[in-house]
Amino acid sequence: MRPVADRDSAEWWRRTAAGEFVLQRCDSCATPRFPTRAYCHRCRTREWHWEPVAPAGRVESWIVSHQPFLAGVSEPYTVVMVRLDEAPECVMYGNWRGAEPPVAGLPVRACFRKVDEELSLIDWRPLG
Amino acid sequence: MGGFRDRTAVAGVGYTRFSKDSGVSTLTLACEAVLAALDDAGLTADDVDGIATHRVGDSAAPALVGPALGIHEPSWYLDQFGGGSVSHSVVGQAALAVAAGVAETVVCYRAINARSEFRMGGTGRGLPVSPEVQYQAPYGYFAPPQQYAMFARAHMSRYGTRPEHFGALAVVQRANAAKNPRALMRTPITLDDYLASRWIAEPFRLLDCCLETDGACALVVTSAERAADLRRPPVLISAAAWGGGDSFLSGGRADTTVTSAAELAPRLYRQAGIGPADVDVAEIYDCFTYSVIVQLEDYGFCAKGEGGPYVASGAVAPGGELPVNTHGGFLSEGYVHGVNHIAEAVSQLRGDAGERQVAGAEVALSTAQPGYILPATSALILRKG
Repeated sequence: MRPVADRDSAEWWRRTAAGEFVLQRCDSCATPRFPTRAYCHRCRTREWHWEPVAPAGRVESWIVSHQPFLAGVSEPYTVVMVRLDEAPECVMYGNWRGAEPPVAGLPVRACFRKVDEELSLIDWRPLG
Repeated sequence: MGGFRDRTAVAGVGYTRFSKDSGVSTLTLACEAVLAALDDAGLTADDVDGIATHRVGDSAAPALVGPALGIHEPSWYLDQFGGGSVSHSVVGQAALAVAAGVAETVVCYRAINARSEFRMGGTGRGLPVSPEVQYQAPYGYFAPPQQYAMFARAHMSRYGTRPEHFGALAVVQRANAAKNPRALMRTPITLDDYLASRWIAEPFRLLDCCLETDGACALVVTSAERAADLRRPPVLISAAAWGGGDSFLSGGRADTTVTSAAELAPRLYRQAGIGPADVDVAEIYDCFTYSVIVQLEDYGFCAKGEGGPYVASGAVAPGGELPVNTHGGFLSEGYVHGVNHIAEAVSQLRGDAGERQVAGAEVALSTAQPGYILPATSALILRKG
């Protein structure tokens, strides 16, 4: 299912497609934020910049989806929720690319999955 | 801080039959439930001056239901956008309208063909219009059972909550449903049946998930004074709270094992002037087994992390310290998006719940989806009049 970007997020998706792993960082109070938003939820200002962060985190949780919610997908697949090392307030989702099932707290690294020239998705695999 | 404590009441409840295919429109379901609730209260549509619902673009609007029942000039209505999280705010807002004198008799309804027309689980329904969806759906993650399974797993990892804890709740609720003639699923189940049910999204099995139901349920809200003169014993609205809380999706909430209910609960209890120990029966939003376990913690019935063992101890079963989901809940009675929980609480406080009656029930808590998907939730405390 292709993401439907909005006006706040389009640039994040463009940068992700270019292989950048970035978050917004508030110019005023340095709070990192993801998903992308115009305003800082902490200090309510709207000056910010893109900042590359380590594409690394820890598994917060995961599911193995069996019910065929997606048309044409009948095999179970694993979705992980990852808390980012350099922005612990932020979580990202992605599919799991490890040989073994995830466990809570496992250190993981992002891997880009190129769909086409305009879209890359972010999956996760165990660190190391 | 008493607010509108005990100034308004639920004077009537009405249901349609619950099924997998109602064969009728949501407008027809709404009319049927509203008329049944009015009849229960000893009123007619001519007495109604307020109409309220919540919906997600899947059901008949108050502006349709009013004219369809010959209610041509309501003085107040509410067409609340939202899912289960706002379900109890509709009754709260009706109570506010009555307490403020804007309306005298409000009907609150929820009418859904959630199985035959608009399945909450996904089929036949577009993705929710919410900016978060773009970061989740590309990974095949968008359906409520998946989202709740993710949080359930976090709770299991952190606190050692086990499948047997989820299963214990499913077994209790099914046993309750067996005593409820309205319930869709009345055949008792065992823990082994639970454990053998197929995976939906691990850690959730089929028997962790609510039913998808066609049906409607309606309530009549009026002043406490007026309710005292109507046909049925009045049930007072002691507290109604709704609100937000932070979203972990925007960085404001770090702990995935705590819901917005934890922020709302103190305000709710304060408004009613009671605490969790005073609650005799609780109808807790059970879109999934885990949503009950986390709310038992967040509404203060047990410590954080103890929800699973609390359920498995038998505390929530009939005769336990806090009977929960006495109608069978969404898991076994049917899924009417929160309103059937309120209706069951009313029935328990009137003392007309038949075989499933909690002896001496005087105070009930009824809750909404606790705010995991969007940071909103709502709840009511009701009291025997």
